[in-house]
Amino acid sequence: MSSETSRMKFMCDSSRCIQCFACSVACAEAHDLPVGISRRKVVTLHEGVEGKEVSVSIACMHCSDPPCAKVCPVDCFYIREDGIVLHDKKKCIGCGYCLYACPFGAPQFPRDGAFGMRGVMDKCTMCAGGPEKTNSAEERRFYGQNRIAEGKVPICAAVCATNALLVGDAEDVSAIYRKRTSSRGKGE
Amino acid sequence: MLENLKNTMSAKVGRRSFLKMAALGAGVGATSSLLTGNTLRAATEEEVTNPFPGSKRVKTICSICSAGCGIIAEVKDGVWVRQDVAQDHPISQGSHCCKGIDQIDLVKSKQRLKTPLKKENGAWKRITWPQAVDEISDKMLQLRKENGPDMAMFLGSAKFNTQQAFYFRKFAAMWGTNNIDHVARI
Amino acid sequence: MTNHFGDVVGHSKAILIIGANPAVANPIGMKHFLQAKDRNNTQLIVVDPIYTKTAAKADYYLRIRTGTDVAFIYGLLHLIFKNGWEDKEFIKKRVYGMDKVKEEAAKWTPEVVSDVTGIPTDQIVQTATLLAETKPATVVWALGITQHSTGTSNTRILPIMQLALGNMGKKGGGCNIIRGHDNVQGATDMCCLADSLPGYYGLSEGSWKYFAKSWGVDFDWLQSRFASPEWMNKKGFSLAKWWQGVLQEEQTYSSSPIRALWVQGNGLTSMSQTAKIQEALNKLDLLVIAEPFLNEAAVLTNRKDNLYVLPVATQFETEGSVTATNRSSQWRSKVIDPLYECKTDHDVMFEFAKKFGFYDQYTRAMKMDVKEGELVDVKKDFVWPDDAVSEIARTLKTIGLGGWTPERLRKQQENWYMFDPVTLAGAGPMKGQYYGLPWPSWDKKHPGSPVLYDVDVPVNDGGMGFRNRFGLEHDGVNLLAAPSVTVKGSTIKGGYPEITRENIEEVLGSKLTDAEKQKIGSNWKTDISGIIQEKCRAAGVAPYGNARARTIVWEFPDPVPLHREPIHSSRPDLVSKYPTYPDQKNNFRVDVKFISEQQAREWVKEFPTMLVTMRVVNLSGAGMLERSSKYLSHLTPEMFANIHPDLAFKYGIRDGDMMWLHSPQGTKIKVKAQHNQSVTPDRICLPYNFAGVMQGVDLSPNYPEGTKPYTTGESSNTITNYGFDVITQIPEYNAGLCRIEKA
Repeated sequence: MSSETSRMKFMCDSSRCIQCFACSVACAEAHDLPVGISRRKVVTLHEGVEGKEVSVSIACMHCSDPPCAKVCPVDCFYIREDGIVLHDKKKCIGCGYCLYACPFGAPQFPRDGAFGMRGVMDKCTMCAGGPEKTNSAEERRFYGQNRIAEGKVPICAAVCATNALLVGDAEDVSAIYRKRTSSRGKGE
Repeated sequence: MLENLKNTMSAKVGRRSFLKMAALGAGVGATSSLLTGNTLRAATEEEVTNPFPGSKRVKTICSICSAGCGIIAEVKDGVWVRQDVAQDHPISQGSHCCKGIDQIDLVKSKQRLKTPLKKENGAWKRITWPQAVDEISDKMLQLRKENGPDMAMFLGSAKFNTQQAFYFRKFAAMWGTNNIDHVARI
Repeated sequence: MTNHFGDVVGHSKAILIIGANPAVANPIGMKHFLQAKDRNNTQLIVVDPIYTKTAAKADYYLRIRTGTDVAFIYGLLHLIFKNGWEDKEFIKKRVYGMDKVKEEAAKWTPEVVSDVTGIPTDQIVQTATLLAETKPATVVWALGITQHSTGTSNTRILPIMQLALGNMGKKGGGCNIIRGHDNVQGATDMCCLADSLPGYYGLSEGSWKYFAKSWGVDFDWLQSRFASPEWMNKKGFSLAKWWQGVLQEEQTYSSSPIRALWVQGNGLTSMSQTAKIQEALNKLDLLVIAEPFLNEAAVLTNRKDNLYVLPVATQFETEGSVTATNRSSQWRSKVIDPLYECKTDHDVMFEFAKKFGFYDQYTRAMKMDVKEGELVDVKKDFVWPDDAVSEIARTLKTIGLGGWTPERLRKQQENWYMFDPVTLAGAGPMKGQYYGLPWPSWDKKHPGSPVLYDVDVPVNDGGMGFRNRFGLEHDGVNLLAAPSVTVKGSTIKGGYPEITRENIEEVLGSKLTDAEKQKIGSNWKTDISGIIQEKCRAAGVAPYGNARARTIVWEFPDPVPLHREPIHSSRPDLVSKYPTYPDQKNNFRVDVKFISEQQAREWVKEFPTMLVTMRVVNLSGAGMLERSSKYLSHLTPEMFANIHPDLAFKYGIRDGDMMWLHSPQGTKIKVKAQHNQSVTPDRICLPYNFAGVMQGVDLSPNYPEGTKPYTTGESSNTITNYGFDVITQIPEYNAGLCRIEKA
């Protein structure tokens, strides 16, 4: 199904998400994030309101045309060929423009010295690390694990308690979701 | 500027092999080296397959709830270095809740009890195991002498594995009391 | 659980969740229910006093008044019987006593039920209709059903409804009770319980003799260990009310007051009546706590001496098997060696057994095995845990653990990828086994029984009838299954009794040799030789019989379940019509108040708000494990209560304000008010996973250095109301009252 041009995307099926925070905690634990840095958040709307409550897991959406990169004054963002939007913490100056630009609140700013670099932006890497040598101690210290390089699914989606959170080629994700909704009631 | 960057990343890597792809920076100034066009290559097998070379993968079971989710624990030199999902486990199929995926932190938590402790004159004091076992046993046996075995109440737990649970029941039986219970009562 | 999660995905067409919130307490269970919805368009009905995260995913949500579950189910049964929707064939052939249930159900018209439960009549009719038309349907429950003064009746009425609908013993049907802790099923099967021996053997002399033999010890020696022989056969104090053994405010019946408390892994702050527990902890002569993390009982007490805390390894620092909620046994490998100075739980027991002078007797059975039908010593040393696994497998016949050998359990773990998640059936080298060998797994060749009571599957492949446990007849009615109910592949047509030494030749129609007669136990439960099981396998027979399920429990106070108002009822007008039980003498060695407490006052006048407890997803049990995790504790940084804005503003309480909650017992807690619409203005809801603050007093100074969790807070159990189940003595956590005061 996947073509040469498709990109890696997250999708959260809100009919499945139960706000269990597995994705968020798994992310923090896997990448050894400081407490308070939430690369991935779980948001519940209309909490407790009958028939209206809905939960969804949100992180960097790895936009095709990322506004964060557009506004970055030091050009620290780069996009991998597979569409994963990453940034270089050594270039980042922690100005916070990207947070203003991001519609999802993805960029995070540690209060103090996380990753040894005060105030530098942190965000979801789709478990793809950063520009440092793959699986090096340095990459892990700055960006956390590089599961993609190991051939593994990003931890948030791998761990999702209800398989609400999907990740992969946009076409694959959409195919899974389409199958889930269209096969409803057919025992598949 | 972004367009420029994308265009510069000229390495052609097939879609299906992206998972094996590694971005390799040349140390300092990594991003600038990305612009050279030579920064993407297929990583070596060792680099991509195991960030903890020499670690072994232990299959085990989550210790939180009764669903019984599988866990893959990566262990290196006797240290639990990483918790991974067990995608092929027949009950959980990789899934966990937030507590389950955090089991490694449970083990490594700073708040673990590290030594036997005793409260003496209202203050906590570190003691050795032999001292703890001696003092507790003496007191237990003294109370038993005064009141018989029903002077003790044993509260066990669903945190025991099945063998420990069986042996806890046997422990109370051989102590000589039915004053034993565990959290199934709640 | 009679079935399993995968079975719900594969086969259930409707799921009734009542008194359970798996989205929070068991998210991986919830995944299966959501998969069922997606794959089979399975209808999800959630009945709960609170609009929970599970309710948010339901097709139908029914908001019930706490403590009225029996009334609600009778409402469904009323309509089922009235419209002839019951499974008449199933009832006729496999059930005893449904007429009495029908009589009681006749009283519960939708109008009456609606008045008692608060559920609109149209929702009751809709649910009954849906369950009648949608088969198979499964029923799921957890502590919202059990934790009541009427808990036993609640847990009986639900299977009764499933029997009426013919949903028992069917794929996609059954009663899928979600257990709590990771090994609560296993620890319960091993009966760390005051009223039974491992495998649910009773406390009778016969059972004790069987265990003495199985443990390789002399019965007289074992008996001499007790205060006197009579105490061997009497239930001990329970977890729910052990503190009365110390305080002795209510009448107790024991050979001694409780003077020493030994706690291994039991979060005492998750028990109700925390204030009483605190008093008892202060009064004890000795308190021993063995845990990986500090048990907050150690900070709850102000005692200055004779308090010991022993560091114990986590379950990742030892190995053994754990039993999941669906009766599957899984091998949990050791990840690392015990950290710091921690010892494993069993090593702690071994150390003290040596000091107490019974180590040899304690460990002897691990060096024994059955040879030629007799239990004999086979080696000098034992290997933990494998030899304990073998000991359990050959001893616990009642629930059929004969197939749980260490070799099979280890092999299953290595090959867990060979099992199908929906059926649990193995493939390749694991063909002929179900994952985890769900009990009963009668013998070393048995595949386990993923779905209980299914007569369409041969016994040797995991099928069976209902157990013959209550005699052959009652009130002149035959209790065995009807002649037409033959378990597939069985040589016996229709129902048959449990197999004993007396009846084996007659029932199985086979002759035993004299040697076999010599070795055989008096019945299948105490047959160490294994000969009865062998003969049963050959005949395709379940050793426990093929009988009828009984809906009448003649030895209980309520032979058929009855609705009884909570002790602290929000509806005093219903109390006279549905009063609670008479006060109880000597249950688990202590008196228990029922009617005297209910009628002491019109509680609701002073305590107008219903009090419901709940779980939060990031904490479990007493919460000390998760509150010691930086990431998990961060999700709920402080104790809170969910309160409807309309109720809050009545007391001038804004979102985030502190408030006092007072209980009928005169206790109080100070918690943060969190405005939330999941509760209606007549009730509030609070998590039970906090401790470390007691009636407004911060207990931080009591923690040993470096052991205080990241978050502490008031325990809801300080204000859970007095009340205990009449049979099991489980505390009433979920149908109480409280008074709110702005702090």
